[in-house]
Amino acid sequence: MSRNRPRQTTWPDAARMTARAFTTLFGSYAAAAGIATLLARLLPGSRVEASAWGMILSFLLFAGFGLWAFHERRLLVVAPVLWGAAAVSIGTTFLLGVRP
Amino acid sequence: MTPPKDSPAGKALRQSMAWIHAWLGLLAGWILFAMFLTGTASYFRPEITQWMQPELRPAVVPPGQAAESAIRYLQRTSPDDLQWFIYLPDDRTAATRVFARAKPNPDAPPAKRRPEFKLDPATGQPLEARDTRGGEHFYRFHFQLQIPHPWGRWLAGVCAIFMLAAIMSGVITHKRFFADFFTLRWSKGQRSWLDAHNVSAVLALPFHAMITYTGLITLVAMYMPWPVLANFSKPAEFNAQAYGAPPEGKASGRAAPLLPVGPMIDAAARTWGGDTPRTVVIRNPNDAAATVTVLRSTAGRLSARPDSITFSGATGERLYQSPPSGPAIATAGVMLGLHLGHFAGPVMRWTYFLLGLTGAAMVGTGLVLWTVKRRKPNAAPFFGLRLVERLNIGAVACLPVGMAAFLLANRLIPPGMADRAKLEVATMFWVWFGLAALSLLRPARRAWADTLALAAAAFTAIPLVNAMTTNRGLVPSAVTGDWLFVGFDAAMLGVAALCGLAAWRAWPRAAVAAPSKPRAAKIAQPAAALEETHVA
Repeated sequence: MSRNRPRQTTWPDAARMTARAFTTLFGSYAAAAGIATLLARLLPGSRVEASAWGMILSFLLFAGFGLWAFHERRLLVVAPVLWGAAAVSIGTTFLLGVRP
Repeated sequence: MTPPKDSPAGKALRQSMAWIHAWLGLLAGWILFAMFLTGTASYFRPEITQWMQPELRPAVVPPGQAAESAIRYLQRTSPDDLQWFIYLPDDRTAATRVFARAKPNPDAPPAKRRPEFKLDPATGQPLEARDTRGGEHFYRFHFQLQIPHPWGRWLAGVCAIFMLAAIMSGVITHKRFFADFFTLRWSKGQRSWLDAHNVSAVLALPFHAMITYTGLITLVAMYMPWPVLANFSKPAEFNAQAYGAPPEGKASGRAAPLLPVGPMIDAAARTWGGDTPRTVVIRNPNDAAATVTVLRSTAGRLSARPDSITFSGATGERLYQSPPSGPAIATAGVMLGLHLGHFAGPVMRWTYFLLGLTGAAMVGTGLVLWTVKRRKPNAAPFFGLRLVERLNIGAVACLPVGMAAFLLANRLIPPGMADRAKLEVATMFWVWFGLAALSLLRPARRAWADTLALAAAAFTAIPLVNAMTTNRGLVPSAVTGDWLFVGFDAAMLGVAALCGLAAWRAWPRAAVAAPSKPRAAKIAQPAAALEETHVA
């Protein structure tokens, strides 16, 4: 009886997949949180409303980034985009400081 | 129907989305199934709690009277407390619940949270009933997963975001929404599982998308607090401004009698266009600085935002009213309301329940499809396939038996037994996981059928055991017009029938029967072709 076994996974494959999964889960969260927070900080109007819009939209960004991170084949594109977006948005929010 | 021509980029997108969809669904599927099933049951949380305390049959009284009788009880038992919380009964909850918070003692370590009491709404006397978590158990489990705080909520959040991404990728993967709506081919092996998954997903897609996104919003303050931190140096200010939390004043030290709260409740109801209050919070009772905060019920309202009005307990003067909400807070309130479903009347609540079951069916059929798609004829299953199959049995077939065991334990554990509420909860998990372990001893196909048959038997046993251990069985309840108990027993028989049907379909005879040639040919399709079929 033959074994119904998928193709053997090599160590480099596993390492790439681990890096992609890590970037997808945490990088997408960081990018979504950073952009939603920057949006909330910059939106005109009341602080409460701006914060709420940021929170409401954040999950859509998170899911969208996560899907793109697995659709784009080049991890060397995915990782810089997601971690870069997170770093820029979070850094900008820090520089702006808490809304007075 | 001939699928439209697809561009290479579109085809690549659909294929990558199909791959992601399968893996997201698999990784989170077992927990999502449990979240869907227990969350769906939670639409009847108050009714389950009432069923689990059959001793209680309190009279229905107006909210003002229930509040006054509860205050009389609290004045007798704890007049010097810091705060009294009074949860008023409505047409779905039988009893008034009260909870008192003691004044903090700076010289003593923080006291343990006091227990909550159930009172007769008419008399204010404590109600004696069996200790149980009731419907609250299913509700809490569906987002806390019986894992210590905050890890259970985080795990539920990760699964929910996987679900959201799975829905989005599933939508992109599909091209035949309208056709899939009407396509269900029985007894066609993998095709049937794919059809069942598509039908349950497409049929209730707006509900699934809504319930997943709004589920994330219910805990957004925990999952995504950063926008608030960018705008508020003190996050508590956000809550105060967003939800209109009343100021928490200090006691003056001067005694003053607490005015009757009935007129305050009536005044609040008039302000809210006749909406009834749900909760009354009295701070510093019998002090000149006492406040009475009346919170609006979310029943019958689409928004679950907790509007409130605060009165002086000593003078009756209106001190504070939660401000009207802006578009974003109103949106969040409606999202929360849509998820909780408190606005729903009986018909809409049953609709929610049935849609929730389609959600569980969508996840369950997706999990089964993963294994069916990868099983090859005349080939021994690889380790991952066997593992997933066993986990599928453990989640999809064994959990319902665990839930039935929780309800049966409520009737079979003696009412006065110590820690019986914990024992009921423990019964669910012992039966669930114990059965999953036992199912390993049986061939997979046989384990599916046996466990589903056991689920059917367990759910059938619920009305029988209820009739044997209480005087509120199906027949006497129908005679006396006790429709909650009639409905509960009928629902259990309905679930039993569903499980029985599933057991009958899963019975191994279908596996041993010689497949017809066309069917065998379909089963033998190569994986790539099957993937293509799913994408198309």
